[in-house]
Amino acid sequence: MKKFNRTYLLGGLGLAISAWIVWQAGQIPTRLVANEPGPRFIPYVSAAGLALFSLLTIIFDAPKEAAKGVKPYLDKAGWIRLAIIMAEAVLFALAMTFIGFWFTAMLGMFLFIVTLKGKKKVNWLFAILLCVGLGSLCYFGFTRGFHIPLPTGTLWESLGITMP
Amino acid sequence: MQAYLQALGILLQPANFLVMYVCALVGCVLGAIPGLSGGLGITLLLPMTFALNTEISFAMLVGMYVGGVSGSFIAAVLVGIPGSASSIGTCYDGYPMTKNGKAAKALSIGITGSFIGTFVSVVVAMLCSSAIADIALKLGPWEYFSLCLMAITMVVGLSNGSIYKGLMAAFLGLFLSTVGADKVTNTLRFTFGNTNLYGGINMVCMLMGTFALQQVATAYAKGQQDMPPVDTSSLKGFGLTIADFVNNAKTIIVSLLIGLFIGFLPGMGSGISNLIAYGQAKKMDKHPEKFGTGYDPGIWATEVANNAGVGGALIPMISLGIPGDGTTVLLLSAMTIKGLQAGPMFIRTNPVLAALIFLIVLVSAILIFFTELGTKRWFPYLLKAPYHYLFSAIMMICFMGSFSATTSIFSVYMMIGFGLLGVVMDMFGMPMTPLMLSFILGPKIEEYFRTGVSYARGDYSRFLTRPISLIFILIAVYSVVGPMITKAIKNRRAAQKAQ
Repeated sequence: MKKFNRTYLLGGLGLAISAWIVWQAGQIPTRLVANEPGPRFIPYVSAAGLALFSLLTIIFDAPKEAAKGVKPYLDKAGWIRLAIIMAEAVLFALAMTFIGFWFTAMLGMFLFIVTLKGKKKVNWLFAILLCVGLGSLCYFGFTRGFHIPLPTGTLWESLGITMP
Repeated sequence: MQAYLQALGILLQPANFLVMYVCALVGCVLGAIPGLSGGLGITLLLPMTFALNTEISFAMLVGMYVGGVSGSFIAAVLVGIPGSASSIGTCYDGYPMTKNGKAAKALSIGITGSFIGTFVSVVVAMLCSSAIADIALKLGPWEYFSLCLMAITMVVGLSNGSIYKGLMAAFLGLFLSTVGADKVTNTLRFTFGNTNLYGGINMVCMLMGTFALQQVATAYAKGQQDMPPVDTSSLKGFGLTIADFVNNAKTIIVSLLIGLFIGFLPGMGSGISNLIAYGQAKKMDKHPEKFGTGYDPGIWATEVANNAGVGGALIPMISLGIPGDGTTVLLLSAMTIKGLQAGPMFIRTNPVLAALIFLIVLVSAILIFFTELGTKRWFPYLLKAPYHYLFSAIMMICFMGSFSATTSIFSVYMMIGFGLLGVVMDMFGMPMTPLMLSFILGPKIEEYFRTGVSYARGDYSRFLTRPISLIFILIAVYSVVGPMITKAIKNRRAAQKAQ
């Protein structure tokens, strides 16, 4: 038996997604327009294509990669780093709603610097100045300069504080 | 001519000119730093275009594009690491030349080669685009459908790795493009009652997630390496003489034509042209054994060819609405954001804007040329930029950009979702460009297909009976099947030899 590798998983995922697309596309209401393939057509085509090439990748790519021996995508520490950075991204999004973009930009950037620096030495004064400067520049540049609204924060709204 | 004079007037307005120059410089810096690119810069700038007028938006984006392409040779020459795939060939002779104590000459060839490639190719693009658009106007929905299909399959056929994975990415992109209200009958598809999805998946969120967030996350997870030290002792002087130009004229001209042609073909970007030009220069040269040892024609060939791809890629983008490479995909999405209909009518309906895009490329190339020449000795400092500051700023801009795309926090979560999708695709070795291209061309493909069938009163065979459409479909099929056949023949021959 060929050794299992992630391309088998990719093929399986592709097949599952295409089955889901077919199921969901079947629920799209169709309004009859003469001589017209209808709104389900392209979703069905994309599901069929995805299924076909998922199968082909299982048949042709996966055994080749199994024979070659595929290196792990990341080591354990790499997966932890990936989980940390994605968790920080979600935290940034949550904080944007709660304390608004201006504070989140400054604090979030600082958090990213602390995370991304790894074992390197950082000039903390420069890092703080960069976070405050760039965060404020982006916030006020967008809200005042370009008149594009950014979240002001539900916390301040509930406390009756108007953010600049 | 009138359009070009008007466009020049717009470009010379201080704000437009300054924005273009600054963005070209930033693009050059991003292009120089391995792992970053002008394309990333364009992605980060897209949200700013919401509030700016069309002219200044394109001054920003196109300036960044030119700067990004021009700067990619710097790391290739100084540390032997290409700033992007377009400068892989430059490493072969650029870095050995630096190690031979001729860094100034290697950089000067890179700067001058980039300038010649961009400038001449854009002049050709200016001359050709209008004629190609006129021809394209005579085509119907059947031909446009086949053309879009061909663009996607060519990208898949030429992308690195498995062709099946590339096609999976393309069909996934096509599916994602169907989310939201169907344009023909206004039927909602895959929205699950979420009003944020009625208008479809936001392009900016998708680009920010798959392009920027994914890049930062994977670079950090894989452990970003610092740049090796640079020898700065040999960076003084121009290093080139008239004789260098005369002796390398043939290489320059041939590489220019290669870069222009390859850039013109959808999907075949500068990542391929620089290597083909390098191979061709080696074949033509009287001393092929000198290639790889710090030989001038090796750098001329790659840098002229990859920059000539700029003009080449602009031709299908302006005249047909088909992006020539990954970065023109982003420029095309900027056109969509600004409500412009890219395609053969673009030059007729927006002659000044089309002229402005060409002029921005020309003027940016000139400005970058002189700036790079004047600041060459500071190039090593660019490579010392700390990644933790750059990546943190990029992350923050991603959040701001994705929120401002729809002024909804839903877009931010969608951007994170696409970032995760980008990581998963990277893990499975699925190329990102086919997904992005089919997502952007998906609505057009559907529209052309459905109108084509409708005009032909339900006759699907019209796509195959119209000659030009048939040619495009045959090329599309060949671009997928061709590499498979070639590979099978090679494997068979190898097996026969082994026996």
